[in-house]
Parts: sequence; C-alpha cells; structure tokens
Amino acid sequence: MAKDIEISNSESKFLLEALRQNYRLDGRLFDQFRDVEVTFGNEYGDVTVKMGDTRVHCRISCQISQPYEDRPFEGLFLISTENSPMAGPQFENGNNTDEDEILCARIIEKAVRRSGALDIEGLCIVAGSKCWAVRADVHFLNCDGGFIDASCIAVMAGLIHFKKPDITVHGEQVIIHPIEEREPTPLGILHIPICVTFSFFNPKETEENIKGESNEEITVIDATLKEELLRDGVLTVTLNKNREVVQVSKAGGLPMDALSLMSCCHKAYSITEKVTDQIVQAVKEDYKSRNKYSELLSSENAR
Amino acid sequence: MSIIAQMGPLTKVDGSSLIESKQTKIICSVTGPIEPKSRQELPTQLALEIIIRPAAGVPNTREKLMEDKLRAVITPIITRYLYPRQLCQITLQILNSGESELEFAQRELATCINATLIALIDAGIALNSMCACVPIALTSKEGSDETLLIIDPSDEELKSSNSVHVLALELVDQCKTVKNVLLLDSNGDFNEKDLFNILESGEVEVLKLGKQIRHIVESKINSDITSI
Amino acid sequence: MTDVQETIEVHPITFPPEVLARISPELSLQRHLALGFRPSLRAFDEFRDVQINEDSLSHFNGTDEMKLDTSNNILGSNVLKSGKTFVITSITGGIVEDTSSSINEDDIGEEELREMVNSNDKLSEFATVYPVVEVERGRAGACTDEEMTISQKLHDCLLHSRLISKRALKVKAGVRLTDNEGKTEILYPDEIVANEKESEEESAYAQIAPKKKWSYVLYAKIVVFSRTGPVFDLCWNSLIYALQSTRLPRAFIDERATDLRMTVRTKGRSTTIRETYDLMCDPEKSLDLNINKSNIAYASNFGIIDLDPEAALEQSENEDDEDEDTNMDVDEVKSVFLADLDTEAEETSIRSTISIINDKNGKFKHISLVGGGSKITPDMIKKALILSKERSTDLASKIK
Repeated sequence: MAKDIEISNSESKFLLEALRQNYRLDGRLFDQFRDVEVTFGNEYGDVTVKMGDTRVHCRISCQISQPYEDRPFEGLFLISTENSPMAGPQFENGNNTDEDEILCARIIEKAVRRSGALDIEGLCIVAGSKCWAVRADVHFLNCDGGFIDASCIAVMAGLIHFKKPDITVHGEQVIIHPIEEREPTPLGILHIPICVTFSFFNPKETEENIKGESNEEITVIDATLKEELLRDGVLTVTLNKNREVVQVSKAGGLPMDALSLMSCCHKAYSITEKVTDQIVQAVKEDYKSRNKYSELLSSENAR
Repeated sequence: MSIIAQMGPLTKVDGSSLIESKQTKIICSVTGPIEPKSRQELPTQLALEIIIRPAAGVPNTREKLMEDKLRAVITPIITRYLYPRQLCQITLQILNSGESELEFAQRELATCINATLIALIDAGIALNSMCACVPIALTSKEGSDETLLIIDPSDEELKSSNSVHVLALELVDQCKTVKNVLLLDSNGDFNEKDLFNILESGEVEVLKLGKQIRHIVESKINSDITSI
Repeated sequence: MTDVQETIEVHPITFPPEVLARISPELSLQRHLALGFRPSLRAFDEFRDVQINEDSLSHFNGTDEMKLDTSNNILGSNVLKSGKTFVITSITGGIVEDTSSSINEDDIGEEELREMVNSNDKLSEFATVYPVVEVERGRAGACTDEEMTISQKLHDCLLHSRLISKRALKVKAGVRLTDNEGKTEILYPDEIVANEKESEEESAYAQIAPKKKWSYVLYAKIVVFSRTGPVFDLCWNSLIYALQSTRLPRAFIDERATDLRMTVRTKGRSTTIRETYDLMCDPEKSLDLNINKSNIAYASNFGIIDLDPEAALEQSENEDDEDEDTNMDVDEVKSVFLADLDTEAEETSIRSTISIINDKNGKFKHISLVGGGSKITPDMIKKALILSKERSTDLASKIK
C-alpha cells in the first residue's frame, strides 16, 4: 500500500486559522504565484521547472511515424504524465488510476494539446505516410502542490526550446539530417497557454449559500501540498498572452461566486503575462549561451 | 572518473541524490523502510522495489534489465536482516541518458548504481559496505593491435569502442580495500588479457571514485551539522 | 503453584531429503556439497548434456509438404534439450522501410559527409533480433521480470556480439512483371547481374526498380518448458543454433504497384499520396542469412558458494578426527565452484555467479560477474574461462 499523506488536526487547524487571519504558511500573499525557475539541460527540450519545493522535469522527444489515417496532414503529439514514488510515497509506480492524477493529466492535455499550442500540421512530412511524432514526457520529481501549473510551464518551455532534426524530402524518400550535420529546426508554437490554479477555503462551519460581496470564502493562488490537502474547492484557468481563455476547469468542490470567476481570470492574466515572458526570456538566454560557444569555436577556426 | 553529486535534493522522500557524470544525469529517491504490499513482503529481510524510468518514452525491457543488474549490486550491500517485513522503494529517474539508448546502457547503469548508493546513505538505510561503479570501454589504437582502456567513456567513445564494460566493486575499510566484485558486465569483442586488465585498472578507478563519494557524503553531513 | 503433571517429550523433527530440499533449499544444498556432489548428482564442474534438433519447423528447411504451407512463416528454428528443460526457438521476420538511412547512397557528396559523421560508430553497422522469451509456468498472465530481462539481455548480447550485420538484412527487392500473354515472372536485381547477356531485362528492371529501401527484421520467439534453473544460457544457445539455420525469403513488388498514386482530400485541401509499395515474399526462393561466422559464440554459466561447516552432517567426526582439527585451525572459508547451475536449491542459494559467452578460441562476447555472495577470485575466473572454452567447443561441434 502506498501510504497516504496525513496531516494532523492541530496542523490543519493552525493552517486554516492562519488563512482566516490573512497569512499563509510560507509567507506569501493570497494571490501570489511562487517564483518560477526554468532551467535547461544539455539537449534540446530538456527542462526542469521549480516552483518552491515543487520540481517537474519535462523531456521532449520526436521520431518519424505514420499519421492517423483520417488526419493525413497532421503529425502526432502526445503528453505523458506518469507519477512515480519519487514525488512522494503517496504515489504508486505504474498505477495512475487515482482520480486526482487522471484529472491532472486531463487538464494538462486540454491546456496544451487540445488548445492547439503546438502546430501539428507543421509536423507533417509526407502527407498520409510520414510525419513527426512529438512526445512530451513529464516527470514529477518533488511534489509540493501546483503540479498542473508547473507541468504546463514545463511542457510549454520544453516545446519552445526543442528542435527537431532537419529533413529533406525527395519524392517519397525522406532524409533525416543528424543534429551534427545540419542545424535542427524548432517546432511551430502557436500560443503559450499558462495554467493558474485557485484554491478555495470556507472559513465558516457551514457553506454559504448566497454568494456576493459579503462572502468570507478565501481564495488562494498556487497552493502548496498542505493547502491542497485542506482546500474545499479548486479552479484551474488556462490563459494565454492574447487574453484568450483556453480552459476553465472546476470539478466539484465548494461552489464559488460566479462573479469571482472574472476577478480570478484577471489575476491569472497578470501571472500568465509574467510567466510567458519569463519562459521566452529563459529560452532566449539558453540559445544565446549555446551560440556563444559556437561563435567561440568558429573564430578559433578562422585563425 | 569524476561525478558531480548532490545529496538530498528532494524533500518528500527519505533520501535522494542527483548525479551528473559527463552528459549523463540521474536523480534517485529512496523511501524506506516502509510497509510493503503483502506480495512484496519477505519474512526475514528488507524487500527492495527498484524502479528505473527513462528520460523519454515509457519504461521498457531495457529499464527492466538495468533494474535487475542494479538489484544484483545493491542487495548484498544493504544490511537487510535489520528490516524484516519492510520495504525500501528506490526510484531512479534518468534526466539525460548521455549515450545512444538503443545500443548502450553502460553510462546510465553505472550512474544509477552510484546515485542509489548516495541516496541510500542519505535515507539512513544500514549498509554492510560501500560500492562504486565505473563504465569502461576498450578501443583498438588506430593502426595497431594495442587496446586502449577508457574509463568513463563518452557516447562517442562508446560508439567507437570494441567492447564496453561496467565494473562495480564492494569497498570496505574507508574505501581503501576491495572486498569483492559486485558486478562486471561486459559486452563486445575482448579476450582474457583485456578482462584482467579491466579488473586491475578498473579497481584503481573504482577506489578513487569510492573516496570521492565518501567525500561528497562527508561534506554534506558537515554542512548539515553546521547549519544546525 | 501448579504441579506439572505431564511430561513433554521433545522429538527432533526429521524430514526425508526431498522435503528438506523444498523447505530449506540452502541447507539441503550445503549437505549435498559437504558430501562432494550436487543435488542434481552431477560433479562440481560437470555440465548437463545438450541435445539439439535439426531445423524442422521452418518454411524453407522443412519437408516439401511444409513448403506448400503458406501460413508457416518460420524462417529458422531450433529445439534444444538440456536436462529436463526444453527450449524451442522459432525465428520469424518482417520487412521495414529504411528511414534511418539518412543519406541517399547515390549522392557522393553526402556520402562523404556520412562517413565523417558515422565513421566512429562501429556498432551501428550491426543488427540484432527482437526476442520474446516465454517461460511456461502452467498458467497465463503478464510476462515475468525474468522473461523481460532475459529477452533484453539476448537482444543486447546479440547486438554487441556483432553477429548480424545490417547489410545482411538489406532487402534486394525484385519486381514481378506480367507480359502481354499474362505470364508472370519475377526479376531479382542480383540474378540479372549474374547473366549479363540479358541487358534488356536489366534496363527493364532499372526503369521500374523501387526507389525505396527495405530491411528485414528478425523476431525470435523462445519458449522454455519445464524450467528447472536459470535459463539464459539455454535460450542464447538455442537462439544461436536457430540463427544458423535461418533463411530469408526473397521479396518482390508488383510492377503495377511501383507507381501507385492516390488523391486524398481533407478540409478542402487535396494532396497526392504515393502509396507505400506492397512488398510480397516469395514462397519458393530464399537466401541464407549471412551471419559473421567468426562471431558465433556459446554461453555457459558458473556459480560459487561458500561451504558452511555447520550445515554439514556430523558424520565425519569419528572418521577422520585429525583432518577435522586441522580444519578448525584454519579459519578460512572453503568455497566450491559449480558449473552449469540447475535446480531451485542452486539458483536461490548461490549469489555469486559467472556467466560467459565465448567461442572455442577464447574470444569473448559477453561476461557477467555477479558477486552477491562469496568472493570471486581471479583463479576462479580463470577456471571458468577454461571450462567455458571447452563447453563452447563441445556446443559448436553439435551443428554441422
């Protein structure tokens, strides 16, 4: 049996009481997103995202495959989110049937794949017979809440960073040029969706049935693991920099004030803007550091 | 061979380690002793659950074979009778394989073994002895029959080699003495002379690496103590 | 105070040997070894005899009747018996299009580039088979870890043994022509070259020759019946025997299929798709699988276990007391070296093993030393090498 995480009564009371008094255990404000740290590995499409103690690794890979028969112009794109006991003993290896885990995988899938963040038509090589199959493997390394938000950032940063080998098509013959031979090409990214998760707490004994200004329900952005365990409801909104809502997901839990959805989206937008810029900047800097190296090499050769 | 290792980078497990060796990068977590599932339970000893996950794609038979070899190395060095009817979960996530995965697994296996050892120490699981592991490649010198031994070969060196090997030794006495060969896994073209050459030259390198691992553990413990 | 009225007699429990072997394999093994033989009654360095069957299951090597059976897709086979264990290997194949061949071979400029990129990758010149090992346990279910690790180990060892080069698996596709009278004929490129006078045919072939390239892939299904101990060796040897009898079918495409086009429309756009060729295999003509004979090697395995003086029966006490005394003084553990491990007792109790794949000349393809139990000394390795060479010579002589 994988052991469940337990939180003691006194600790949960303390946390909730702190929330009532406008404090969070890690000293953040209610609508403060944790600082995001994006680092890249040696290969293209190898990203580690850290948000507080939460740590997610994402690896993008690609290979040549056959497109679906009914979609001859499209390549394949798959996101795999499998948990392992590394993130915490509450996860079991190879058993991803837990409700929360499926929900998490579905939301990432909807946010990135179904929203068309990746240009899958650009993955087509020979219509109907050959295409690229791009795969994003998300590995949860350390779990301190906010897996959905962190994974989404990791997958998007990975896709932007990734480059696939260049190809030449002669009729039906396809030549793949190894990375050493020809500069690889980046993927086509159509927009950058960013997930922001809101957690709701009800500080009162009973649920407030009539919503409005006078409600005392607490809304917290980017909950940690402990806050996630104690929350009464959850909402994930996915936006992009173009002010488009990509996805809104609220699966049960504490009913919320309908109008507060707007304010949530507003808060999420400023976070989306900031995180998007950060990802783009991080990729740019990484490319620059790679290029600097090659410039150094080429100048040596010139002498 | 030299490695860059970080002990205890993860917070939700009992012990962890992150190792970088050339392009190979692996993170390892250890949880235990915990309650096992009934089918895993051993009446007198600690049961081990070993999981290796590849950087890209789903775990395959390739990872299963690596798990099998890792188990052969790790099982004898853990003091297993101290934890009867308990379980130790060892999870390894390969972040970057650093070699052509279809042909080789030597770099990953060696790094997995070293990472597991450090994570086990971090988790405070009782060990009988230390171990250290290096990948080795043998190449023929161009234009002559002489064989060249490469410790910790890169991907290119693996590809151009005639044979590839993984050597793990059991170390005792503050990593100064070799107690036994825990694993020698060799593939390719080689002869008897090469084999003993690997065992002899490999021993020197493994001892060096063993000392380095001790040093890593030492400095981590020192910094933990001073931070209190 | 209560009086204990009844007296309890304590009897030592005794078990017949076969029961002891089940409940305490370790003790049973130690008792046997102390007496100087193994539970299987073999001597310490004695191997089990291996019997093999000539290839009689495959399409091209079988009886004439079998050649007519088009549903038989076995290209090579072997049945190996060792002790009580049977291993049946059947090789089947498939054909895949080469996409990895990154550079068109006619293009000289790029060829050089390929040399530059690939010259160092020696192993990429070689292919392997994809084995599936099935150890029959009398019940169905998901494959066990043992089956998975043996399959992968066979795959890796075969690749690294450099036995099959990729070139040997290239398909030299022929073309099936239909002339005006409706007579069909299959032209193969190498056959045309053989009789040069038919230059007419040659040019005809050149016109319609397929531009794509294909390779065979080989699959091996290895089924183990009545497993009594470790089976990697048996599987490897059976696989090597089977590969030596493997024949690849000739493949051809139909002339009419060489330039198939079709139009696909989706969302108002259309494209012409050149359909993949329908490659067919010739049921009559076949070619030998060209393996690198010098790289054929056979597997053997050994185990080392420390003798536990306490486990031995105390019968030696009155026989030779002097020996006993001298043994007591020397605090060294005696270990024994066993060849060809078998039986459950040996498999579970022996944790130091040596597994070798080599040929009779002492050329190694694979070695794995696992020292989970007693110490592996250089002398033991040397002894294992000598025995494995002999074993390899013996196994090689079983096939003509």
